[in-house]
Amino acid sequence: MREITLSQAVNEAIAEEMRRDPTVFLMGEDVAEAGTPFKVLSGLVEEFGTERVIDTPISEPGFVGLAVGAAMTGARPVVDLMFGDFIYLVMDQLCNQAAKQHYMSGGKLQVPMVLRTNLGATRRSAAQHSQSLQAIVAHIPGLKVALPSSAYEAKGLMKTAIRDNNPVVIFEDKLMYQDKAPVPEDEYLIPFGEAAVLREGRDITLIGTSSMVQVAGKAADILANEGISAEVIDPRTIVPLDEATLLGSVKKTSRAIVIDEGHQSYGVTAEIASRLNEKAFYHLDAPVLRMGAMDVPVPFSPALEDLTVPTPEKVADAARRLCAGEMIHAA
Amino acid sequence: MTAAKTTSKAKAGKSNADDYLRMYRQMVRIRTFEDNANQLYLSAKMPGLTHMYSGEEAVAVGICEALTDDDRITSTHRGHGHCVAKGADFKQMFCELLGKEEGYCRGKGGSMHIADQSHGNLGANAIVGGSMGIATGSALRAKLQGSDDVTVCFFGDGATAQGLWYEVMNMAALWKLPVIYACENNGYSEYTKTEEIAAGSIMARAEAFGIEAHQVDGQDVLAVNELTQKLVARARKGEGPFFMELTTYRYHGHHVGDINRDYYRSKDEEKEWKDNRDPIVRFRGYLVSEGIATEEEIEAMNAEIETDATDAVAYAEKAPYPPANEVDMHVYAD
Amino acid sequence: MPHEVIMPALGMAQDAGRLVAWLKKPGDPIAEGDALFEVETDKATMEVEAQAPGFLTDVRAAEGDDVPVGRVIARISETAETAETAGAALPEPSAPSETAKKAAAASAPPDDLPEGRSVILPALGMAQDTGLLVAWHVSPGEEVAEGDVLFEVETDKTTMEVSAEAAGFVAAILAEDGEEVPVGERVAILTAEKPTAPVRQKRSAAGVEAPQSHEAPAAPKETPATERAATPPVATGGRILASPKARRLALEEGLDLARLVEAGHPQPFHVRDLEALKTLQDARPATAAAAAQATRRFNADIHREGFSEFLAWAAESEGHADAPALLAAFAAASFRSGREHAPICVIVERFGEESRHLDPDRAATGRSAVPDEDAPAPDLILRDLRHVSISSVELGAEDAPVLTIMKRGEGLAVTLECGAGHLSAAAALELVSGFTGRLEEPLRHLL
Repeated sequence: MREITLSQAVNEAIAEEMRRDPTVFLMGEDVAEAGTPFKVLSGLVEEFGTERVIDTPISEPGFVGLAVGAAMTGARPVVDLMFGDFIYLVMDQLCNQAAKQHYMSGGKLQVPMVLRTNLGATRRSAAQHSQSLQAIVAHIPGLKVALPSSAYEAKGLMKTAIRDNNPVVIFEDKLMYQDKAPVPEDEYLIPFGEAAVLREGRDITLIGTSSMVQVAGKAADILANEGISAEVIDPRTIVPLDEATLLGSVKKTSRAIVIDEGHQSYGVTAEIASRLNEKAFYHLDAPVLRMGAMDVPVPFSPALEDLTVPTPEKVADAARRLCAGEMIHAA
Repeated sequence: MTAAKTTSKAKAGKSNADDYLRMYRQMVRIRTFEDNANQLYLSAKMPGLTHMYSGEEAVAVGICEALTDDDRITSTHRGHGHCVAKGADFKQMFCELLGKEEGYCRGKGGSMHIADQSHGNLGANAIVGGSMGIATGSALRAKLQGSDDVTVCFFGDGATAQGLWYEVMNMAALWKLPVIYACENNGYSEYTKTEEIAAGSIMARAEAFGIEAHQVDGQDVLAVNELTQKLVARARKGEGPFFMELTTYRYHGHHVGDINRDYYRSKDEEKEWKDNRDPIVRFRGYLVSEGIATEEEIEAMNAEIETDATDAVAYAEKAPYPPANEVDMHVYAD
Repeated sequence: MPHEVIMPALGMAQDAGRLVAWLKKPGDPIAEGDALFEVETDKATMEVEAQAPGFLTDVRAAEGDDVPVGRVIARISETAETAETAGAALPEPSAPSETAKKAAAASAPPDDLPEGRSVILPALGMAQDTGLLVAWHVSPGEEVAEGDVLFEVETDKTTMEVSAEAAGFVAAILAEDGEEVPVGERVAILTAEKPTAPVRQKRSAAGVEAPQSHEAPAAPKETPATERAATPPVATGGRILASPKARRLALEEGLDLARLVEAGHPQPFHVRDLEALKTLQDARPATAAAAAQATRRFNADIHREGFSEFLAWAAESEGHADAPALLAAFAAASFRSGREHAPICVIVERFGEESRHLDPDRAATGRSAVPDEDAPAPDLILRDLRHVSISSVELGAEDAPVLTIMKRGEGLAVTLECGAGHLSAAAALELVSGFTGRLEEPLRHLL
């Protein structure tokens, strides 16, 4: 099977959907000729023209608002938000308007839009360009949240997102744009609410999102050398969340660690861990641990930044100790 | 929404008895609706708060009478007037205000989010300025899809303080979108005079983006309608966006509970507007003097509307609430 | 305010320093910065300077002493007189110097009592909670032989002598002539070696100290997460720490986690610990047999029992005679020594029926049995078999000590059986002798 980068996978997904459905269009800062600073969208304006690939001014609330209005009246916008950190700017349009229109109108209005943005630290971009804010939007009823962990997921999830009649926020790991993965030539979609078991195991379940899926995988490698068999699961979407797969795994292994690049406190890990505790309590032989980024603004200095995110070693260490029956807290 | 083009109700300002009567009727309907809604609040039958449009009828009616069902509007928290003017009916509106199942939003939106999609009303909005993006986006969609419908964005003078307006005006002007920004300047931003919250000129704000700006007496329904018809026609041809500043006045307080308000607005001023500049009284006089209707006919019309409203209120009061299992429906579209 | 002179912190790895030489004498005037004394550390000898001006007083450490870092060894006072007036004593947990040791003989806080064999005020055989310690026959520091009289105690009837159980030295006397001492309280300490600082004090000085004191296994607070503890914390208050899965499986498989606790298995328990538990439970018959060997058993014969008469008298004078309640009262009274403030619950089994009695020796006769739901677990079980022809029992230890009463000729036979862990030999003896004594002469119980 051919291998393409995450960037190419996203590009393909959007292009295919734009070909398929003329109401789909792109907007955001520098999406046209520049193809965004990450160059993900290069080539689209050549194919679809500036009518459907629209460069906007630096007006995040403004153009997200426009996307909401366009979506409410029959178009299907894909909005590019250059950095996930800018989600704070668009919260009213996203959470007060887009998320609630369907409900507030008693089901009469809908907002089929995709907000495409990114997450991930360790790029030396400092505190305001390195945040992973999926927890913030996952908290809002009416939004769906997808977290592709590789080129394969990125393409399948993006296509599903565009066809979904709800506002969907997709976070791509900005450090993975050049990472390759096998991606089928033929069309495929990845449904929302379906987790992927990337690796089977018996002793402990490692649940990772987005950038943390690879971390979990590497941790599993380390553990395998020590005779600990870790199961690795990627939920792929956190709203909706495939609880059944996660619970089934934890019931089998009786131990779990949830890893996400959002902050340690009040985050995605807390939600998933909580559900596992509630619904698999009597199957747990160890507490479910959360491992997120440190509760600090992302520091600039490389010596410091790299300390703030979960690493394979940290995950393996926690797993090892859980399997040994130690009473511990996560890092 | 690809409904077939309905016959445009808008005529180019020529004397047309039916149109005028309809305009008058719509204004009275708004006034009557608001009076009844106010009563519902005062008699503690209405949950939550609402915001009265009384006094501003000519703005909503003058504009909406220049639009078709395909044209869209976005509304504000003071949205009953827009809703009625764009063709909504009493029963479903009262039901929505009381949170009943038969309301326009199945009781889930309430006064501040009332929307009537079938007539192109994209909804009231509780966030000041919150619908400006939506209106502009609707216009973007029209341009993208080659549709000639126009979107009117209603907002108040207070909303000119929201940054979102400048962002969307910028984009509307850049891309020549078919949107008309209609600023209902009633002199007050909640409890504060407009001149204390808006520096410089409101008109100049639109003009700064190269958007053609017009000012009009919002209490003169014919003037409003005439201007709107011109701008809508031009917007359909791609000459938009446009801006209108309509000078008007709200008789009630900011919301229905704002009753003792002479600390920020004098009773004399209110009286002046009510006695001398009431849009309905003015238009009534015009209709009578032009021989379009007699006083008796007008009285009869008023009485009929009054009965409609009373019946609708009674209906809504008896109507059922949505069933409990609806509480988590419609969070997501299928 | 006098300034305290302390043994300073001497460097990283040292807890104490040897005071090599004083450079000033008590009473000398001191200026700030004067060298006061020399200290030898593992590296060198250093001079310690005065931090304040005044006069050197209250010197507490001598040349040659090893003084712990931070210990106050002197004062710099405003005047040359020592500050040792009432209440101004320097805090000294256990002063190592000669003078300090002598001073300790005057009075010492409870923690400072010498370690040795305790001498308690014995149970006096009657329904008595306290005894008057009339007179000591020995003094602190004296050597005694086994059987020597230590002190006299007066009961309501007579004066008893209490003798030494073994040879030794009187290291501490903890109650004075004329003091009322609760039964079971420690009144003296005997040591094998001659004590260097024998103690003598009143009861009130030391405060009440029950013999079965703070020797309870120090259960540390439940610290859920320390560093990688090799031995995780022990559960407090009987709570067992185990994972939810371990608990559920244990329940499903009929395994008792408490056995793991008894076996000293470190908590928290996980699923893998259930394997060990299964092995334990398989070994149960052996341990049961072992437990059986650890049963205590006393048999007593009462030739002339006064109980039936007493019962008849009670029926006549009080209008009712509740035999189980009275038996329970006798048993509880015999069990009471050392439990003055604890409730005693006695179950009496008779004619196949069970009655529960809470503190039956404390209420007026005829306290009614408490309802089952409110009653605590029994401390004593009394099996009244006088109505059947059983002449002896050997039932082994149960959950609480069991007194069984049977008919024997004109009198009664009483058997006490209890686990080694329930009662010490002495306590068991006290229980059974007190009980039989009351059955012989019940009227004394009332007086």
